[in-house]
Amino acid sequence: MTSAAIKLDQVTKTFDGRVMAVDAVTLDIAAGEFFSLLGPSGCGKTTSLRMIAGFEHPDSGRVHVGGKDITDLPVHRRDMGMVFQSYALFPHRTVAENVAFGLRMREVPKPEIERRVAAALAQVALTGFETRKPGQLSGGQQQRVALARALVVEPPVLLCDEPLGALDRKLRQQMQFELKELQKRLGVTLVFVTHDQEEALAMSDRIAVMNGGKVEQVGTPTEIYERPRTRFVADFIGEINILDEGGQLRALRPEKIRLVAAEGARLSGTVETSNYLGGSTLLRVQPTTGPSMLVRETHAGARASRAPGDLVGLTWNDSDAVALES
Amino acid sequence: MSATPNRRPFDAGRAAYLTLNALLLAFLLLPIAIVLVFALNPTPYISFPPVGVSLRWFEKFFGSAEFMNALWLSLWVASVVLVLSIVIGAACALALSRGNLPGRAALTAFFMSPLMVPAILTGLALFQAYLLSGIGRPVWGLIAAHTLVAVPYVIRTTLAVLHNFDRRIEEAAAVLGASPVRVFFEVTLPLIRPGVFAGGVFAFIVSFDQFPVSLFLVVPKGETLPVVLFNYMKFDLDGAIAAASMVSILLALSVVLVLERLIGLKAYVKL
Repeated sequence: MTSAAIKLDQVTKTFDGRVMAVDAVTLDIAAGEFFSLLGPSGCGKTTSLRMIAGFEHPDSGRVHVGGKDITDLPVHRRDMGMVFQSYALFPHRTVAENVAFGLRMREVPKPEIERRVAAALAQVALTGFETRKPGQLSGGQQQRVALARALVVEPPVLLCDEPLGALDRKLRQQMQFELKELQKRLGVTLVFVTHDQEEALAMSDRIAVMNGGKVEQVGTPTEIYERPRTRFVADFIGEINILDEGGQLRALRPEKIRLVAAEGARLSGTVETSNYLGGSTLLRVQPTTGPSMLVRETHAGARASRAPGDLVGLTWNDSDAVALES
Repeated sequence: MSATPNRRPFDAGRAAYLTLNALLLAFLLLPIAIVLVFALNPTPYISFPPVGVSLRWFEKFFGSAEFMNALWLSLWVASVVLVLSIVIGAACALALSRGNLPGRAALTAFFMSPLMVPAILTGLALFQAYLLSGIGRPVWGLIAAHTLVAVPYVIRTTLAVLHNFDRRIEEAAAVLGASPVRVFFEVTLPLIRPGVFAGGVFAFIVSFDQFPVSLFLVVPKGETLPVVLFNYMKFDLDGAIAAASMVSILLALSVVLVLERLIGLKAYVKL
């Protein structure tokens, strides 16, 4: 399968002439990359995706795919795959007919359609479901039909709009693995829209964190988590302590803080609450001065050692307190 | 010791609910039963209790050229109205729901207005309009009038389906390479079809049973069945009227059943 690079160049979209949904966004997505657009609702991630798909036309800026400017190309000529949160299967057609649809539109000969539909259904472990209607399938199965339908045409680009949002936690985790594996095996460029930071961290090669129609930061999951550039990114992803050092804000992850003896520590305070999370315990510590701090105490086997009321000392490495842009 | 099953306590609300339903059903169905009794009763006038069972009134109805001509005209008109109103009604509903038209609420109210105006006024108004414009009273004028009052039913049922329509389904088809025209015929039309046909059933019945509008627009020897029945009743009140009513009811019922069989109306549309 061939894959294509995607480039958004200063793309802007307003709705009703006023609401700035996407504000001069520039993104370079490499061919074969698993790229996530992450942010809260209304941040412009879905609108960006819909402009790549062609459902929305940017007010200004250009969209390039595979080196070609496709800004003015209608949706049906863009040759992409897309998976929707609601799956958007054709309810009046069988599973096989759903998967065959894109091939039929491309006027692929019938025997080849049958062969490729069978292969696509095998790929998502749905062999034997050909004659079912979507209404007779579970959410996870519908999800896989939607995936097979999008991938059977071998698109160079696969767009996913919160495709796992409607699944329960266990199934979602399983689909995360399956989707990532499939993407790597096929080598397709995948643009993944999600508001779930764990999902984005787990699956992506790179993530663009969006806020208010703008891209706050683009980077690998490690960069986004370990080196947040702005306060928004630091806050949005995981738990964070924001330290104010004479006007310079620094972000410090709770797990970078070590618990030490109270005397001679950088900070000392009392444990206010202790939330046992299984693999770790999240403590809220109130220092003698300043705002309270989140501290993650990881324990390999041993149970949490601190209880509310305990006096503890906190320390960390300077390099772990990341300076934020103001 | 075996557990005794829990007895469901008597539920007064539920009993009242079931009784009310039974009464409503009886109210709807009893008249039909009475008509059937009269249609089968051989006495030459409508009387109760019935004295026997015979098909003489059905024979009279089917043997009368006047009734038969009227029946065929009504069926023919209603069929054309069915086709016209589903095409026009579906197109209107799509435009109203999708078209981003200015003054959409006002337009919807305008298209639905034939339902608000008493049909007798619509009939009178059309009669005057036809005469003044020199159209006269051709059959197509009658068909146009029936279509006018039937279209709102199709608009309404189609709008109901479009209201719950997930447009992502159309977008999915477009991404897969379907041009707008193909999206319409492959996805949109099959999905709104039940709503359109449910409206079509109403359209057929509205036309087939139409009396007030027809009264003004038919010509002698070119009268529809309801008008012929009305004229007949003015002089004779025998079982032939009841027989004609039974035939009308069965025809309407068969249209509903055929459409239900073909496309499963009830699965899609809450009427």
